[in-house]
Amino acid sequence: MRDDYTSELGHGLKWAYLLGIVGALLAPVFYVIYISFNEFGFGARIYVFTVDWYRVVLGDKMLVASLEWTIYLALAAVATAVPMGLLSAKLYKKTRYKVAIVTLMLAPLFVPADIMASSLLVFFRHLNGIFELIGEALGWAWLTHWFELGFFTALVGQILYTLPYAFVVILITMSRYHPQQTEAARSCGATAWQAFWHVEFPQIRAGVFSACAFVVILSFNEATRTALLKGGFDTFSNVLVSQMLNVGMSEESYAMAGIMSIGAMTVIGSILIYTLVRSERLEREARAKAEPVMST
Amino acid sequence: MSAQPDTAVEVDGLSKNYGPVAALSSVSFSIESGQYFVLLGPSGGGKTTLLRLIGGFIRPSRGRVLLHGRDVGDEPPNRRPTSMVFQSYALFPHMSVERNVAYGLKLRKMAAPEIGRRVARMLELVGLAGYEARMPHELSGGQQQRVQLARSLVLESDILLLDEPLASLDAKLRKDMCLELKHIQEKVGITFIHVTHNQEEAMTIADRIAIIADGRLVEEGTARDVYERPRRRFTAEFIGDNNLLHGTVSAIAAEPGGRVKVDLGYAEVAVDATVAEGTDVAAGDAVSLSVRSELVELVAPGGAEDGARQTVPATYLEEVYLGLTTSHLVRLPDGSEVAVRRISEGGDAAPPAPGQEVRIGWKTPSARLHVE
Ligand SMILES: Nc1ncnc2c1ncn2[C@@H]1O[C@H](COP(=O)(O)OP(=O)(O)O)[C@@H](O)[C@H]1O
Ligand SMILES: [Mg+2]
Repeated sequence: MRDDYTSELGHGLKWAYLLGIVGALLAPVFYVIYISFNEFGFGARIYVFTVDWYRVVLGDKMLVASLEWTIYLALAAVATAVPMGLLSAKLYKKTRYKVAIVTLMLAPLFVPADIMASSLLVFFRHLNGIFELIGEALGWAWLTHWFELGFFTALVGQILYTLPYAFVVILITMSRYHPQQTEAARSCGATAWQAFWHVEFPQIRAGVFSACAFVVILSFNEATRTALLKGGFDTFSNVLVSQMLNVGMSEESYAMAGIMSIGAMTVIGSILIYTLVRSERLEREARAKAEPVMST
Repeated sequence: MSAQPDTAVEVDGLSKNYGPVAALSSVSFSIESGQYFVLLGPSGGGKTTLLRLIGGFIRPSRGRVLLHGRDVGDEPPNRRPTSMVFQSYALFPHMSVERNVAYGLKLRKMAAPEIGRRVARMLELVGLAGYEARMPHELSGGQQQRVQLARSLVLESDILLLDEPLASLDAKLRKDMCLELKHIQEKVGITFIHVTHNQEEAMTIADRIAIIADGRLVEEGTARDVYERPRRRFTAEFIGDNNLLHGTVSAIAAEPGGRVKVDLGYAEVAVDATVAEGTDVAAGDAVSLSVRSELVELVAPGGAEDGARQTVPATYLEEVYLGLTTSHLVRLPDGSEVAVRRISEGGDAAPPAPGQEVRIGWKTPSARLHVE
């Protein structure tokens, strides 16, 4: 906050500090992107700009396949985690047990990735064993493969991981919504669903879309859980991580890292800009409300 | 209990508990079609709860709601013949005035030209023709409430529920809108149930008033009834500017409808027993009297003591100028204060000096007897 008595210098210093921190944190990312465009890769004494490494990555069948898997996983996570986040946020607004709901919803954030991934792995292994036993005993073949490691188990891990974020982001937008509007819609003859779809959803749409973007980014960045739970396919970051561990950073890995960071920054940047524009508009509206157009 | 055909709303033994809190306890009354019915009472008394039970936004813990004789216990708000106007924030902020008002008709899949006609007519009625394209945030509080009213009225429901619809408006606007609401109700002829904690608002618009406090129906009647002839002490305290005097019954007249003598400790006064219907008193009972401040007078020294007037001694305290009226405050021998209210007039005689011994009095039928 700024007022007439804030010193210019102090104000400038605060901004310089903020930008300095952000710059320092992001510098390695920009450096990786910078290297990914060098024909001679990391450590070379000369820099020749090229997009060849990106071509190589996108021409590699295995890499493209892993990119596809990642996209499927991200979309499936969006399709499940966002509606679940929305429902949980609605439940939160209604219930008297708010602390319990928040604790439950945010708990996955406090479990380290490796621990959650390995617990899920063990859990699914056992579940798979049980389902196989039952399936064989009853002669129901369709029961036996439910919890074999694969897309579905990786998705469960992904949902557990992204749901808290989706929940929080949607809850924040929802807190500005006045529930009388739902009642007003009901009293105009709307069913509960119509009231939600016509009146509440348009007002929390921004939060729902941000939640979608968050889940996509989180899915792309995630490697630990998918590595353990994925079964027979690789995601983009799985490939990247295993390459780094096995053969070290190659020129290709830089290009892959570049793709991920540029993608993520574009998404986050657009959300930020959209949010800024929107909050400015809301502020204008609030100001207009404070000065009624007419007095009766 | 069978509802008459012209009974719009019948509420029967209605209760609502929130955990240990009894928001509403066993309330029963009925409202005739086409009435302007006001639920009046202090905040936290259960008015909103009662209104929301009628509208179907919450389920009763016990009791029934009948609308036009039909038990609507299992019907959600969108299936009831009611529609609701809220205190504030209830317009859809992402829709223009026109779309707000048209919303309910669109849900009914009415043809667009017909919707247009009805919306236009309704905006005309509430005085907002020409505002179709405005967004809610571009309207003042009063205009927003008119849009809400139009949005409800356009549905042609039989019963309109209004929960403190004027509470967020300033005093002047509230007065104007109050009269306007009354005129609109007369024009459309449907039943209005209006919740307020403001007694002036209630007096202005109500055909009938129900006083609700502590989750109970205290008293119900016409505006004139509850103002001039409050049966319950709570009503006397809540409505009008009543003075309360406490005492015990010392004697009861033998003949029916005769007077009751009440010993105030420093004086004995007579009260018409008939004025308080249903009050059944015996000698020795603790009772209170209520007398409205405009019916109490300062008695000139040596004024005649006749049977038509009761007088008691008092000490003059001060004069409070209130514009239209002036209040003279006096203290009774038991320490309680009484206000004597007069229309302010330029040439008023000088009031007694503070501390001076005076007498106050009232016409016998002006006092009301309460047993609680
Ligand atoms: N949803 C609720 N949960 C718990 N208590 C409630 C709820 N709604 C109302 N109450 C309680 O019920 C009582 C009546 O409330 P209300 O009907 O809103 O009163 P009014 O409208 O007359 O001010 C109050 O004591 C209030 O605290
Ligand atoms: Mg209320």
